[in-house]
Amino acid sequence: MSPADTLDPGTPRVRPEAIRAVPVRHPGRWVSAAIVLVVAAQLAHWFFTNDGIGFSTARHYLFDHSIVMGVGVTLKLTVIAMVMGVVIGVALAVMRLSANPILSGGAWLYIWFFRGTPVYVQLLFWYSLPNVVNRISLGIPFGPSWLPQDPKELVTALVAACLGLGLNEGAYMAEIARAGILSVDQGQDEAACALGMNRLQTMRRIILPQAMKVIIPPTGNETISMLKTTSLAATITVAETLGVAQRIYGRTLEVIPLLVTASIWYLFLTSVLSVGQYYLERRYARGSLRNLPPTPRQKAIELVRNWQASRARKAAL
Amino acid sequence: MSADTAPLATAATSGRPMVEAQGVHKWFGKLEVLQGIDLEVQPREVMCLIGPSGSGKSTFLRCINHLEKVDAGRLSVDGALVGYREVGNKLHELRDREVAKARQDIGMVFQRFNLFPHMTALGNVMEAPIKVRREPKGEVRARAEQLLERVGLSDKLASYPAQLSGGQQQRVAIARALAMKPKLMLFDEPTSALDPELVGEVLEVMRDLASDGMTMIVVTHEMGFARRVADRIVFMDQGVVAEAGPPSTVLENPATARLRQFIQQVGEH
Repeated sequence: MSPADTLDPGTPRVRPEAIRAVPVRHPGRWVSAAIVLVVAAQLAHWFFTNDGIGFSTARHYLFDHSIVMGVGVTLKLTVIAMVMGVVIGVALAVMRLSANPILSGGAWLYIWFFRGTPVYVQLLFWYSLPNVVNRISLGIPFGPSWLPQDPKELVTALVAACLGLGLNEGAYMAEIARAGILSVDQGQDEAACALGMNRLQTMRRIILPQAMKVIIPPTGNETISMLKTTSLAATITVAETLGVAQRIYGRTLEVIPLLVTASIWYLFLTSVLSVGQYYLERRYARGSLRNLPPTPRQKAIELVRNWQASRARKAAL
Repeated sequence: MSADTAPLATAATSGRPMVEAQGVHKWFGKLEVLQGIDLEVQPREVMCLIGPSGSGKSTFLRCINHLEKVDAGRLSVDGALVGYREVGNKLHELRDREVAKARQDIGMVFQRFNLFPHMTALGNVMEAPIKVRREPKGEVRARAEQLLERVGLSDKLASYPAQLSGGQQQRVAIARALAMKPKLMLFDEPTSALDPELVGEVLEVMRDLASDGMTMIVVTHEMGFARRVADRIVFMDQGVVAEAGPPSTVLENPATARLRQFIQQVGEH
């Protein structure tokens, strides 16, 4: 092959042979990897065999009926609180960007209050409020449709938990949604206006779908965080995962095993949410990336292919 | 506006100007960007607005569909005041809904395209007729495909803006504006953000549109396009119309030293 080959359009191009070099070895990395492996194995061995941890007890309670019901309550709380948070948050974000000082000031005040007080205090507040308020003339915005079949007291606690977690989340979501809306280029607003779209259409069809790209990742984090924060509801007698675990170990004194049971469930649920978040982000990246990032399956296939290719190269050396 | 004063015929048939500006002023804070613009654009006319940056030509264009508010003077499109309604001798601001309604008949093409990045080319073109005019989806789709074919993009229907070149994006933007069947098209420096080799394809679409009889106001630095396509060229400088007339007069025999200098500077590129 000569350089002239590529210059002459008459002859077909021949692909030059790829470089085959011996790859650099990294003994330092191997040693540290070995140390990590040993430590991890030790920890795992201790964890699974130690009687104090009681892993077998933890496993025994994993699918205990009341624990599973508690997990259901955890999920319900998470979903309701996040839906409340997102709706309130978007509304507050639009209010904060309003030209009307009462609207933007009101939104600012809300965020200031709910971000400035601990969510635990807010939960206790909502839980205790019925004790001092004799008559509520404004209806609580939850219909009785999802009430569990348990006594009234539990209902009150659940509603209090939803209010506490949801209203608090609204303040955080407001800031996330505001950042998302502000991230959309002003030209988009102008283009929509020029086509005769009204404010609502512009917001719903043009601005928010683009803001999603910025809103989704932190919202995923908020959801994962919320899933864990719902455990605070145990302190106001809500029978969610941790609350149920506490009731059981209050009876049997198997504290650590039941905390392990609860942790396994929380880990499982947050892992599922992380996967969901990945695909959601991928969906809202449409249009902003020329090529979507690969799914884990595609990544795995790619990894195996690369590994095989490198083995084939080594074998050829 | 009562029913008997409402325009019964559009400018195209009535002989009234499509755009009429009388003493239009615009301030940005203390800066007086427009210092009394008097202009008329007739139906089917192609008017090119030229002038140095900061001369107010883009601002004037944006006033026509009320993206900017006129601070003094009168500006009307097809006989209707832009952004206001006259009751007795008092002006009332139009509601957002009424402003939006007026904008439906005015197409606008932006320097930076401003396509909706989360929609395909076809989605961009179909969005407003379906959501704003509430036209049946099937009809809109057929028309959108036709329009995209007309601007030479029949093979890019399903492409997202990020997958298109600047010239292709701007042609989608033109199709998007045309999908609303506007009676007036505004172009705000439509080729200024394009690589030189992509300018031609956009200008060709615009030339085609002009020969179809579309009323067009084009803010541009493309002197060749202005010379060949414009019926009238308006040279703006420091917020006023400094010179106006047919291309042959304005470009070949500029009356002011300022325009002579401007043509020379632009011509160098």
